[in-house]
Amino acid sequence: MAEVLLKNITKIYDGGNKVVTDANFKVEDKEFVVLVGPSGCGKTTTLRMVAGLEEITSGEIYIDGKLVNNLPPKDRDIAMVFQNYALYPHMTVYENMAFGLKLKKVDKKEIESRVKEAARILGLETYLDRKPKALSGGQRQRVAVGRAIVRKPKVFLFDEPLSNLDAKLRVQMRTEISKLHKQLGATMIYVTHDQTEAMTMGDRIVIMKDGIINQVDTPLNLYNKPVNQFVAGFIGSPAMNFLSGTISEKNGLMFESNNSEFKFHLTSVQKDYLKDYVGKEIIIGIRPENISVENNSETSIELDCPLDVIEPMGNESFIYFEIEKTQFIARVKPLYELKVGGKIKLYINPEKIYLFDKKTGNHLFNHSR
Amino acid sequence: MIKRILLYGFLIITSILTLIPFIWMLGASFMFDGKASVFPPIFLPDPFTLTQYQILFERLSVWRNFFNSLLLSTIVTLIYITFTSMAGFAFAKYRFAGKRVLFNVLLSSMIIPSQVTMLPLFLMLKSMGFINTYMAIIIPGLANIFGIFLIRQYCISIPDSLIEAARMDGATDFQIYRKVILPLAIPILVTLAIFSFLGTWNDFLWPLIALTDDSMYTLPVALANLMLEHTKDPELMMAGSVVTIIPVIIVFLALQKYYIKGIMMGSVKE
Repeated sequence: MAEVLLKNITKIYDGGNKVVTDANFKVEDKEFVVLVGPSGCGKTTTLRMVAGLEEITSGEIYIDGKLVNNLPPKDRDIAMVFQNYALYPHMTVYENMAFGLKLKKVDKKEIESRVKEAARILGLETYLDRKPKALSGGQRQRVAVGRAIVRKPKVFLFDEPLSNLDAKLRVQMRTEISKLHKQLGATMIYVTHDQTEAMTMGDRIVIMKDGIINQVDTPLNLYNKPVNQFVAGFIGSPAMNFLSGTISEKNGLMFESNNSEFKFHLTSVQKDYLKDYVGKEIIIGIRPENISVENNSETSIELDCPLDVIEPMGNESFIYFEIEKTQFIARVKPLYELKVGGKIKLYINPEKIYLFDKKTGNHLFNHSR
Repeated sequence: MIKRILLYGFLIITSILTLIPFIWMLGASFMFDGKASVFPPIFLPDPFTLTQYQILFERLSVWRNFFNSLLLSTIVTLIYITFTSMAGFAFAKYRFAGKRVLFNVLLSSMIIPSQVTMLPLFLMLKSMGFINTYMAIIIPGLANIFGIFLIRQYCISIPDSLIEAARMDGATDFQIYRKVILPLAIPILVTLAIFSFLGTWNDFLWPLIALTDDSMYTLPVALANLMLEHTKDPELMMAGSVVTIIPVIIVFLALQKYYIKGIMMGSVKE
């Protein structure tokens, strides 16, 4: 089928605004790759360059081994689903889906069978004669997906297709698109700013920030082995807690926060990586789920904190507290007896603490487990 | 409630005031000579007669003038809509060198009154050999900035993603224009078509200047000639006016339902 290869892709707008810098990644055949990052990170621009809607300043894009830099969108054999659906308002659902095929002069019967098939997959059979304005948001997005499916393209591109839907529908459509990916066995590139969508849908995820690709990896690798502080903070919900401090030599290497409110001895594995950092500032990262109300290990760091806010979710609770004026979140079992203003004992396993270089933000130590 | 009554009262009164001359025109056209020029005016013809129409069709080659008017108005409107919609679409959705400057120059030309351009226009068309031909009416009406501006503003409101979706679907630029832009722009196209049709149909001064032969005259010009000969014959004049006005009213009534149609609904979510 089709793979997509981006080689040193750079995009500079007319005003000299550099939105994508030297992007390199490969989407394998039948793979679902998600481009994710905060808004303005260049992910949509990257997708639009693959689509052919945006000119490439420098670099090369290959689809199925063929250089497509100078090919117009229609010759790239790709289909795109837009964030705002972009349905043709004057056409019925059927005509919307058939439009591309009609332009290609596909046989009428073939068009009909393909549209009907897509409508069946997407549950749109009873709506084929309706105009887009008579459909709900979810149905409209389904039509937009259907318009892509009927073309049987080599590659599907999705540009934040779910961001206009309400939360419940978004979860539902998320699984539907994942299912569709398996059903069609197609190569898909999906852009989103929502890390949950990225984590749940992607075979692999490309994380971008300020036009630069930070990491390309599987969802679990991104979660477990983020290459830098940005990735660590972006992946995971609630986000990772960060605290800056210094490494010092006191009975072995020790991390000490700026006001010494928080300190712990580095584990033997961590020490190996941080020998050169004595006297230097670093940032530690602790995932909310790695802060516990139970002491599971002798080496755990114990905290005694005043509670700021409790957010009970039912199956779990989020606890907000401060260390040196930095807000921390812990994700713990639901604790009904907790009260705001009271104190709570929390435990952190030092093995699960991430360490980042303060200057570069790079991760200093990987939890390979 | 009172507000409503006042509003409806106001609307009814203005409607009546607007309609009175039309009704009088219609009534007078069915009267014998001299019956209409009385005060207070009478609206119902008594006795009823078709004499004025008979005279009208005898004295003037009404059918010929009617055909001229209809042909010219239709051709001008069709070409005008085609050109202005293409230009408006291009100004709204394409990037090309000098776009802004060109548009501003065109826009500023709107302040030049049309009467000022008549003489140079006449000389130009004369040198082209188009005076006293249909081309003399058609060529100046091909396009104008007013129409381009209106279409451009409308096209700007059509989301780019719609055009991009069509492009991804394999549409060429012309197909995008014809299959996406034109159907979506119907309300504004109809508005412009009405303007253009009425404008050409009712235009008097330019056809009077550019057309010199009886057989080329449009209805208003022919009617004006009639007026010069029959200044004291309001009944005949009114019959001529009725013949002139009816087609325009039909065109307007036929097209007005497209005016307010919210055709963009449901396409995209912003």
